[in-house]
Amino acid sequence: MNNSMRLGVIGIVFFALLGVLTLRLWTMQVGAVEAYEERALSNQSRVVSTPAPRGDIYDRNGVKLAGTRSALAVVVDLLLVESAEEKELAQNLAAFLDTPATEILDRFENDSQGGLVTVAEDVSDEQVTFIVEHREQFPGVNVVPQPVRTYPVGEVASHILGYIGRPNEEDLERPDVKGTDVVGKAGVERSYDAVLRGDEGRIEYQVDATRKVLSLAGEQAPRAGGSLILTIDSELQAQLQDSLRDGLAQARNLEMEERAEALAEQSRRERLSEALAEAQEAALQRLDDATTETSSTTTTAPGQDDDDVPAEPEEITVDPYDVLASLYPGLPIDDNGVCVPVQRVTVAEGESGVLSGVEPRFIRVESIDDLNGELVATARIGTDRFSVTNNDTFAGTVQVLEVMEDRLIVYHRDPWCPVRSVGVVLDPNDGSILAMASYPAYDPSAFVDGLSQEQWESLGTVNAFQNFAVQGLYAPASTFKVVPYVLALEESYYPLDRGVGDKEIGEESSGADGEDSSADSAAEDTAATTDATDQDEESLQPLLSDTDEYSCSGEFRFPLDDGTVQTKRDWKWPQGHGPLDLHGALQASCDLYFWDLALRLWNERSDESGIDKENLLQVYARSFGFGTPTGVDLPFERDGLVPDRAWFREEQRAETGRVRADGRWVGGDLMDIAVGQGAMLSTPLQLANGYAAMINGGTVWQARVVDQVVDADGEVIEDYARVALQTVDLDPRTVRMLREDLRLVVNNTERGTARSAFADFGPNVGLVGGKTGTGEVIKAPRTEKFRQVDNAFFVGVAPITAPDYVVSVVVERGGSGGRVAAPVARQVLQYLLNGPDGVTEIAPGLDAD
Amino acid sequence: MAYTVSDRAPVFLDRDSPLRPDLTLVIAYLMLSAIGLLMVYSATAPGLTARGLDPTAELKEQAIFVVIGFVVFGLASSIDLMELKGFVGPIYAISIALLLVVLTPLGDSEGIAQRWIDLGLIQFQPSEFAKIAVILMLASLLSMADVPLTWQTTLRAVAFVAVPAFLIFRQPDLGTMLVFGFVLLVMLFVGGSTLRQLGFLALIGVIGTVGLFQLNQIDDYQINRLTAFIDPEANELSLSYNQVQSEIAIGSGGLLGKGLFEGSQTNLQFVPVQASDFIFTAVGEQFGFIGSAVVIALFGVILFRLLVTARNARSRFSFLVVTGIAAMLAFHIFVNIGMTIRLTPVTGLPLPFMSSGGTVFVAMSAALGLAHSAWIRRNMTLAERPSDL
Repeated sequence: MNNSMRLGVIGIVFFALLGVLTLRLWTMQVGAVEAYEERALSNQSRVVSTPAPRGDIYDRNGVKLAGTRSALAVVVDLLLVESAEEKELAQNLAAFLDTPATEILDRFENDSQGGLVTVAEDVSDEQVTFIVEHREQFPGVNVVPQPVRTYPVGEVASHILGYIGRPNEEDLERPDVKGTDVVGKAGVERSYDAVLRGDEGRIEYQVDATRKVLSLAGEQAPRAGGSLILTIDSELQAQLQDSLRDGLAQARNLEMEERAEALAEQSRRERLSEALAEAQEAALQRLDDATTETSSTTTTAPGQDDDDVPAEPEEITVDPYDVLASLYPGLPIDDNGVCVPVQRVTVAEGESGVLSGVEPRFIRVESIDDLNGELVATARIGTDRFSVTNNDTFAGTVQVLEVMEDRLIVYHRDPWCPVRSVGVVLDPNDGSILAMASYPAYDPSAFVDGLSQEQWESLGTVNAFQNFAVQGLYAPASTFKVVPYVLALEESYYPLDRGVGDKEIGEESSGADGEDSSADSAAEDTAATTDATDQDEESLQPLLSDTDEYSCSGEFRFPLDDGTVQTKRDWKWPQGHGPLDLHGALQASCDLYFWDLALRLWNERSDESGIDKENLLQVYARSFGFGTPTGVDLPFERDGLVPDRAWFREEQRAETGRVRADGRWVGGDLMDIAVGQGAMLSTPLQLANGYAAMINGGTVWQARVVDQVVDADGEVIEDYARVALQTVDLDPRTVRMLREDLRLVVNNTERGTARSAFADFGPNVGLVGGKTGTGEVIKAPRTEKFRQVDNAFFVGVAPITAPDYVVSVVVERGGSGGRVAAPVARQVLQYLLNGPDGVTEIAPGLDAD
Repeated sequence: MAYTVSDRAPVFLDRDSPLRPDLTLVIAYLMLSAIGLLMVYSATAPGLTARGLDPTAELKEQAIFVVIGFVVFGLASSIDLMELKGFVGPIYAISIALLLVVLTPLGDSEGIAQRWIDLGLIQFQPSEFAKIAVILMLASLLSMADVPLTWQTTLRAVAFVAVPAFLIFRQPDLGTMLVFGFVLLVMLFVGGSTLRQLGFLALIGVIGTVGLFQLNQIDDYQINRLTAFIDPEANELSLSYNQVQSEIAIGSGGLLGKGLFEGSQTNLQFVPVQASDFIFTAVGEQFGFIGSAVVIALFGVILFRLLVTARNARSRFSFLVVTGIAAMLAFHIFVNIGMTIRLTPVTGLPLPFMSSGGTVFVAMSAALGLAHSAWIRRNMTLAERPSDL
C-alpha cells in the first residue's frame, strides 16, 4: 500500500465519521423532532397544581356528613433552597414540627412535586407565627391553605361515607390521580371519587435552566368537586347504629348466660351419670353374672330419661364466673367479663404474651427459626409446646396470623362469641337506602391524619373497615322462606299431604340404610317410623290449596336419588308445630313444609308436563334479585349465590372445596335452599332488596345511597332517578297474603316467631310485619365441644298496608333470629313508626327461628 | 522543473503562483470562525443579560482570540515545515515542561480537572499545544524511518506519545489522551507501519484501558461520564444532564431550526458550557438540520483540503504533519459533535474554530496554518524557495 492509498483509507474514515454525524442529526432533527420539541417545551415550563376543594356529602335532610375545612400546611419550595442548606432547614423545621429531620429530608427527596414538598399539614397558628417571624431560618418555606376533610358526625354512616387516603398503585393507574393526591378508599368517597374530586387547577410558569421563574405562562382555576346528597336519613342512621351496637352487646350477654346454663346442665348431667353408674353397680352386685346386657346399658346416652334413673337430683346453683373459669378457661374475655370474638396478641421472641380470659393464659415464644425459608415459631402455652407456621391453628382457638423474624402475631379466637351486627333500612318503592350500618365501625376522621398502628390493628382485627351490609355474605336461613312461599302461591304448588306424625318416606329397602346414617336419632323414632313407612309415596296426594293443613312435625326422613336416606330436623324438634297451612308454616317458620315443597319440586323435576321444575325455586329467588348484586353505588358489593346443579358441577370440576368432592347435586341440596341454608348466600342489602321486591309487587329496584349531585353553587348537576333492575308480575293476592303473613309473624300471639320481640312495641304494632331467621354457622353440635352457633336474622316491613320501609338485621353468631335480631329491628321500626320517643329498651325475644 | 517568481503579483490572487494560498481552506476556516463567534454570542448573551452584564462581553473576548488566531494562522502558514523540522526536539521538550507545570501549584484547576496555567491576564492550556508538538515529533521520527516501519520505530513513536499522554492523564483529561491515541494510529498507518503492528497497538490500548479501570486509576467521574452515556435517561438529573439537554436542544431544532436568538434551550441556558464544549447545540437548535449540515460540510471541506495537501506534500515530513493535523481535527470534530447528539461520551474535547476558548482557537489556527504552509510550499524544494519570501 503506497502513501496515496493509505491516505485514501484515512479520507474514507474521516468522511465516514462525518457521514455518521449527519445521519444521526437527520434522525434526530427530522425524524424525531416532535418528541424533542415536547421535551424542550416541558423543560421550560413548571406546572404547579392547585387542589380543587373536595365536594361535601349531605344526608337527605341536608345534614352535613362530610365536609372540608381550610387548614394551613407548611410547604417547602426546594428550588429556592440551596442543596447545602437542605439539611439545616430540615433540622430547623423538625425543631418545631414534631417530625424528625430525617423524615423531612426523606420527603425532600421523594415527595417533591415540581419542587414543592409538603412537610406538615394542619399546622397550628403558633407554628405559623413562628415561621413567619423567623423567615430567615426558613428559606423557601411557605404556609399555604390546604383543605382538610372533616366528618362532623363521627361514626354515623361511616361505612356509607367511606374514607380517603393516599392512592395505592391501582389508584395511580387512573389518569387524573397523582401520588400526592388523596382519593376515596371506601364508601361513596370511593365510588363517587371522580365527582367529589373536581378538577385540579394549574399554574404554569416559564422557567430557565436554574428553574428560576421568569414569567407566568398560564393559569387555570380549579373546579370544585360536586357535593353528594344521600338518600340516608342521618337520625335514622344513628338509631340503627345504636340499636345494632346494643343488640350485639345483648347477644354477647345472652351468650355468656347461655354458657353459664350450659355448665349447670353439664354438671347436672355428670351427677346423673354418676348416679346411674352407682345404681348400675348396685344392680350388678345383686346379680351374680355379669353379661353383655349391662355393657349395652352403660352406653345409654347420659341424661336420657330412663326407668333406671333415680329421682332428679337437687337443683345446683352455680356462680357464672366460676362457670366461665372452668368451662371456657382459654377464650378471650374483656374487662366486663363479656366474650370477645377475636383478640390480637403479638409476642416477641423470647418473651411472653397474655391470652386474656377468665383465667389468663400465658403464651411464650421460645424461638423462631428459619426452616428452608419458612419461619417456624416454637411457642409454649402452659406445659404444651407447639411448633407453628403461618395460618396454623393450635391450642384449640389460637390462630397464627404471621410468624415474623422476631415476633409471632396470633389471633386468639372465640368462635362462639357474637361477632358483629349489620343492618339496612330500604325504601321498597325506589330502592333508596335510608340507613345502612355494620358494627363495629370506625370514625372516618381517623384516616385524615393517618391511622396509628394501634388503631389499624384493633379495627382491622374485627374487620371494622368493611361494610358487611354489602360485603358480608350470609346464608339467609328462614328469612328466605318467603321465596318458596311466593312460589307456592304463584304456582299453586304445595307439598304432599303426609298426614300426621314425624315423617319418614321412601322405599323399605333404602329405609335400612337410613337407620345407619342417622343411627343417633333412631331410638326415639321407632314409633313414627312404622307409621310413615306404611305409606306409599305413590298414593300421597299433594295439598290442593294454601289453606290445606300440613302436619309440621319435628323430623323429616327421605330417600335421595343416590340411595341414601337423609334425616332433617326442624328447629322446633322434637315437639314440632302441629298441623299448619302455608300461612301458618311461614308464621311459625316450619321447616318441613318448605322442605317437602322442595322435595316435591325435585321429584317432579322432569314429569310429563314437560316443565323443568328443578330450577323453579332458583328462578324465583333470582327474580327477586338473589344471586346478583343490587347495583348499589358503593364499592366492593358481593354477588351472593343461588346454588343450582350447574354451579355445583362447576365447583366440583374446579375443585374449589366449597362443595363436597364426591356425589351429585341431590334433592337435599334443593331442600336446603328452600330454607335459606346450604350454599345459599346473600348480603343483608340483597335480603332487604329481595323483600322489597316481593312486597312491592315484583319490582327489583337498584339499591342506591346517592340521590343527587349538586355543584358548588347548589345547582343540581345530577339527579338519580330510581332504576328498575327487573320486574316479575306477582299476583296481587300473593302480595296481599305475604304482607298479612309477615304481619302475623309479628302479631300472631300464638305462633308468630317474632311475637315476643315485638310484644312491647307500643302503638302501630299492627302495621309491622317481618320474618325471623336463624342460620347455622357451626353445625353438627354433637361433634363439637360446644353448642351450635347461629347467625340471627330479621327482616321487617312497615307499614305493612303500604310498605315504605324494609329493615334487615343480621347479628353474626348472635343466636336465634327471634331472640336476638328481631329486637334490634324492633327498635328501628319503633323509631320509624312511633318516632324517637317510641323506642323502648332492647330486650331479648323468645328463642325462635 | 524551474520556477520563477511571477511579477504579476499579488501572490495569493495569481492562479499560477506556486505561493498562492489554498483559498477554499481559508474561506472555510473564516466562515467557521465567523459562525463560531455568532454562536458564542447567541449562547452567552442571555446569561450575561440576566446577570446585568454586557451581553457582548464574551463575544468581545472571543473575538480578540479569533483575531490573534488569524494572525497565528498567517504566521504559521509562512513557516517552512522543513525548517521547523530542526526545532522539533526543543518544541517537544518545552511542551512536556509546560505540561509538568500544570501539575504543580502553578496550574489552575477548573472544576475537577487541572488543565490550565494562569498567566495573569490570560490563561493558557498547554495540552492544546502539546498536541501539535506530538504531531511534529511523530512526523519527524516517522519521516526518517524506513518503510515499512520496524517494531523499534513503532515503539519509539508510542513512547513519544506516552509521555505527554501520561502527564495529561494526571491532569486528568481523558479526551486529549484519546486524541493522542487516534493521531498516533493514523500517523503510524500512513507512515508505513504494518497492520500487525497497528493490531498489536490496538490490543495494548484495550488492555491498558481495562487495566486502568481495574487498578482504579480512572477517576469515578470519568467512569460516570461513560456509564451515563450508556444510559442517560437513568441519570437525567445528574451526570449526563448536559448530554440530555444538548440532545433536546439539537433535536428540537428540526429541519430549519428555531431561528437565530430564538432557541429556548439556548436562551434559557439549559445546556451547560454551551459556548465552549457544547457550541454545536447552538447551531443545531437555531439553524436546524440545514445549519448543522452546513457546518459539518465546512469541516468536510477543511479535512478534504488537508488530505489533498498531504497528498501533494513536498516532503515526507510535511506529508506526515498535515495528515496528523487532519487526524487531530477530524477526531475533535467527530467526538465533539458526537457528544452533543449522544453518539460519543462526554470527554471535554472542544469543537475546532467554533468553541469559545482562547488557547484552543489559537492552537487550532496554528495547526491549520502549519498544514496550510505545506500547501503553499507543495512544489518547492528548499533551494527553489524564493528568497524574498
